[in-house]
Amino acid sequence: MRDAFPPSRYRQRLRQGVDRLATALITAGGIGVIVAVLGIGVFLAVEVVPLFWASGVAGTVNIDALWLPQTYAGLDTPQFRWQPAAAMPDETPRYSMAPLAWGTLKAALWALVIAVPLALGAAIHSAMYMPRRLRSRLKPTLELMEALPGVVIGFIAGLVLAPWVERHLAGAFTLVLVMIPGLFAAGMLRARLPRPWRARLTLGWAGLWLMPWLLLLGVAAFELAPWLEARWFDDDLRGWLATRFGLDYASRNALIVGLAMGIAVMPSIYALAEDALSGVPSSLAEGAEALGATRWQALWRVVLPAASPGVLSAVMIGAGRAVGETMIVLMASGNTALMTLSPLEGMRSLAASIAIELPEAAPGGTHYRLLLMAALLLFVFTFLVNTLAEVVRTRLRRRYRRLGGA
Amino acid sequence: MAMSKQRGFPRGEGPWPWLTAGSVAISLLMLGALLLLLAVRGLGHFWPAPVTLVELQDGSRFAGMAVKEAPLPGGGGEERLYHTANRDLEGSPWTWVEVATIEAERHPDDLVVLERQRWGAFHGRLMALRGGDDGVEGQRKVGREDALVEGEAAWQSLVARLAELEALRNELARLRDDTILPLASRLADGENATLAAELARAEARLRELQMTMESGEVLLESVDGTRLWQPIEGIVRAQRPNAMSVPDKLAAWGQGVWRFLAEGPRAANSAGGVWPAIFGTVLMVLLMSVLVAPFGVLAAIYLNEVAHQGRMTRLVRIAVRNLAGVPSIVYGVFGLGVFVYGIGGSLDEWFFADTLPSPTFGTGGLLWASLTLALLTLPVVIVATEEGLARIPDHQREGALALGATRLEMLTRVVLPMATPAMLTGMILAVARAAGEVAPLMLVGVAKLAPQVPVDGNFPFLHLERKFMHLGYHIYDTAFHGSDVQAALPLAYATALLLVLVILGLNLTAIFLRHHLRSRHGRLPRH
Amino acid sequence: MSDLMPPAMAPSGTILAFKREASCLEIEGLCLAYGDKTALRDVTLRVPRHRVTAFIGPSGCGKSTLLRALNRLHDLNEDVVRQGRIRLEGSDIHGPEMDVAQLRRRVGMVFQAPNPFPMSIYDNVAFGLRLQGGLRKRQLDDAVEEALTAAALWEEVKDRLRASAWTLSGGQQQRLVIARTLAVGPEVLLLDEPASALDPISTLKIEELIRNLKASLTLVLVTHNMQQAARVSDYTAFLQQGELVEYGPTDSLFTNPRLARTENYITGRMA
Repeated sequence: MRDAFPPSRYRQRLRQGVDRLATALITAGGIGVIVAVLGIGVFLAVEVVPLFWASGVAGTVNIDALWLPQTYAGLDTPQFRWQPAAAMPDETPRYSMAPLAWGTLKAALWALVIAVPLALGAAIHSAMYMPRRLRSRLKPTLELMEALPGVVIGFIAGLVLAPWVERHLAGAFTLVLVMIPGLFAAGMLRARLPRPWRARLTLGWAGLWLMPWLLLLGVAAFELAPWLEARWFDDDLRGWLATRFGLDYASRNALIVGLAMGIAVMPSIYALAEDALSGVPSSLAEGAEALGATRWQALWRVVLPAASPGVLSAVMIGAGRAVGETMIVLMASGNTALMTLSPLEGMRSLAASIAIELPEAAPGGTHYRLLLMAALLLFVFTFLVNTLAEVVRTRLRRRYRRLGGA
Repeated sequence: MAMSKQRGFPRGEGPWPWLTAGSVAISLLMLGALLLLLAVRGLGHFWPAPVTLVELQDGSRFAGMAVKEAPLPGGGGEERLYHTANRDLEGSPWTWVEVATIEAERHPDDLVVLERQRWGAFHGRLMALRGGDDGVEGQRKVGREDALVEGEAAWQSLVARLAELEALRNELARLRDDTILPLASRLADGENATLAAELARAEARLRELQMTMESGEVLLESVDGTRLWQPIEGIVRAQRPNAMSVPDKLAAWGQGVWRFLAEGPRAANSAGGVWPAIFGTVLMVLLMSVLVAPFGVLAAIYLNEVAHQGRMTRLVRIAVRNLAGVPSIVYGVFGLGVFVYGIGGSLDEWFFADTLPSPTFGTGGLLWASLTLALLTLPVVIVATEEGLARIPDHQREGALALGATRLEMLTRVVLPMATPAMLTGMILAVARAAGEVAPLMLVGVAKLAPQVPVDGNFPFLHLERKFMHLGYHIYDTAFHGSDVQAALPLAYATALLLVLVILGLNLTAIFLRHHLRSRHGRLPRH
Repeated sequence: MSDLMPPAMAPSGTILAFKREASCLEIEGLCLAYGDKTALRDVTLRVPRHRVTAFIGPSGCGKSTLLRALNRLHDLNEDVVRQGRIRLEGSDIHGPEMDVAQLRRRVGMVFQAPNPFPMSIYDNVAFGLRLQGGLRKRQLDDAVEEALTAAALWEEVKDRLRASAWTLSGGQQQRLVIARTLAVGPEVLLLDEPASALDPISTLKIEELIRNLKASLTLVLVTHNMQQAARVSDYTAFLQQGELVEYGPTDSLFTNPRLARTENYITGRMA
């Protein structure tokens, strides 16, 4: 082939130069962006450190004061108190991080109590039982749920759900009680149906046709509630709780927060767990079933053990999200810095405290730096949890590749 | 488990699969219930509800809409909450009554519902109107204050007057924005006699318009007989919902939705619309996109195409991925500490020292909010773009290089065009995430009420230092900080519905893009 | 292994003594490693001008690595360590005077799987020319036609030059890639198993094309298909475990291999 169009030397050099320049720019920009993003942790650490210097901002803050009960004037026993703005002019602000950390963990824990069973149940069902066609619809639908903004969920939880549950406490309680037997009953009833019906109401599609059944259960639960309340709880569940267990019912409590945040984090746990479960090479489950195991046995003996690291990492990522979620806790928790075990009382979380107090805190002051420390705690916690989850997931992916290749 | 296969659960299977199916059903039900609640309450608010005239056994009467019912605290019956309005007469616009004490409920056609600038709504009867249009189209006599119209004619002329007021308001706004403000700014630049005269004429017209608007008032009577005079100018909307036909109500509903979208908030965010919040949200998200797109793509290109693929790059990649899981409030703290107090504070000292101590950039504002959210969504864009880049087979890159392309030419001509759908998907997901974030904004610049949108006709047109309103924060604020939460609740529902629709729409677009929009050349060939 | 010649001695005995003037590419003592994994060990050979030279050998023997070294595709990977010299028409391709883009224009490459860009057929062929710039529309049209004709594709696609290249069949795509490479006027064409992803008829077309092209350029072909090497190449080099075992005229290498290792491979007596 003849050299038809020899390129000019000048243009050649220009192209080379432009390429070098662009590579340099991309490198500089890329590193810059990554440094900026990673700089968040550095910034927080740098701002927090002066708190602990002897000659620091206030000098009064030390680790003990933040995390151990303190004796305050006017109180007999050492206690945890977060009162950044002194109530009386002559009082000093009280900074104990313990109730905030406790509130954060409590809210996250209840959220996981709600979200994990729901998410894992849904993931198992869609990975093991659901027809492919339905699954390909369900997954994006539940992932859409993940996109619901926290402020909307918090609004519904704080202003609709909380007062509603408070008014229909017995009904809500009965509903929870009735749910699981009701689902078993659905399976039982279906087995007794005539064959053409049974063929239509398959387990694979149960995710859909159980919905009207659940609504029916809900109505039944509310019919049953007054009777149940009269029979077991002296006609007043709330009073019964108070006298019997000494539990005060706060309208915006940990259970409400847990339910709302559970709904918020459930989709992400579901999506990751489903990926882990359906990523298990199908030859494994088929092998077990070929040996006479049922689906459920194959799931417990083979699929779940194989996918367990992935499921665990899904739960960890859910925990990370629940710990950092701000708006839902802010709107549905009552924001009282209490340190109680009771799920029926409110709490105040680190994230919510930051959102409420930071705009008013004087930059550079003790309060400001303490709130930054709260942010640092959140940052470090979520970063570690997510890194762990990511490492587990990478390992798992490698394992699947080996299993699939074998 | 000894049950036969016909009657019970299959052996070894047990009832447990039904629990898993149940969790799918419960999740879907909760999602459905949430969306349904938002849709019904959010859209239902604009439907003109009938007004009930309630007579109690003790002889007292009021007019209102039933809001909800609840069991009486001591048991034994229900109580009902009515929105009775008339805050200026009664003190509270809400009334709880025991259902058992209600003697009679009627729906008279002549009950009017007036939405007012002050004191909230009014429920009652329209008795008379004075100083309005005297019936002759377009002619207004001096001394028309004396003309008093009563009965049905009063209602007709009130409706006409309100339409007229709307036109007057528009004319006033036009006059102010298009004539007086430009004239004034030109005058400020240099003295000019003709300009001054023109301005004086325009201002005179303005005063005349204002006078016309202010004239006229109506005599109102509540159902229990209290009377008051109400200036027509203070009435936003008048309805007789009991007399309205379904098409009328439908039209009123459409108008209500439109006003909600197009107007600003009133009465401490408990009434009116959300236009400034829509504008603020969109503007902030746009600015954020402009900031995040180039940097996100740049970082992704660096990580995937330029950086040495060693242990360090793998670590950085994991770190960037994890940053997507760091709580948004932490980004807010960073934004406040670095952007607002750090950079903003310095900017103020250098360029806006004359206005200190009141801060210009040293306080939350549009720019800082956009930057913070850009940082927050950066991992989303980087991860999505990197995934798109990683999916492009290496032999495409080698093909370009083998033809003598430099790395830049390979990137711009072959690789980036193929990664465009992935980048778009990442951007849309970033926008969807940013539109719903509220917590960081509370630290870096969102405002409860900022009727002045950050864009106007004054140089530099886009005011990056201004605070702005945001749909998400608006929900939080109306629902939790209003003086009358019950009144603001429907608006919070409507705002929440709007926000959810916007975000779901964006996510659906992203899903659609991911599944359907590949290159126009079709799928990547498989090897 | 004991009956084979020691590795260090293997190449020296097998190099054909081309005259310098007749060789287009000279490889001298080339060693190449990916990190700590050695891929090529002291390879020395000369590729004759206007002939088809085939590299054969078992998978992982380094034949593709050697081919890719010829137009410095390994530059992309920073883990690659290289020693030794490669000369194109007498000048060192790693020398300071040599620009990579320029080198790759002179030494074109066609890959195992057809990799047309997601653009129209026309844009694919014009890609390399446009990079160099300075061409009028008319010149570009002519060059595209000429390249497509040379790749025996013109008749099939002349009516749909604006169609996406991904709408072509696999064999057509591979010929399009050859046309795209020819368009920039290379002196050497490297082909990395160009027919392995294609059906037998497309393979025959590609082989015929290779034979026709040697009138105007030097071709180097990597293949795992010995029949193909025998059908199209003039010279064949046999590589094993990163070493050049035997190199000679195709006829004599296949009919009368000098070394036992070569014979074992050719007759299929080797794993």
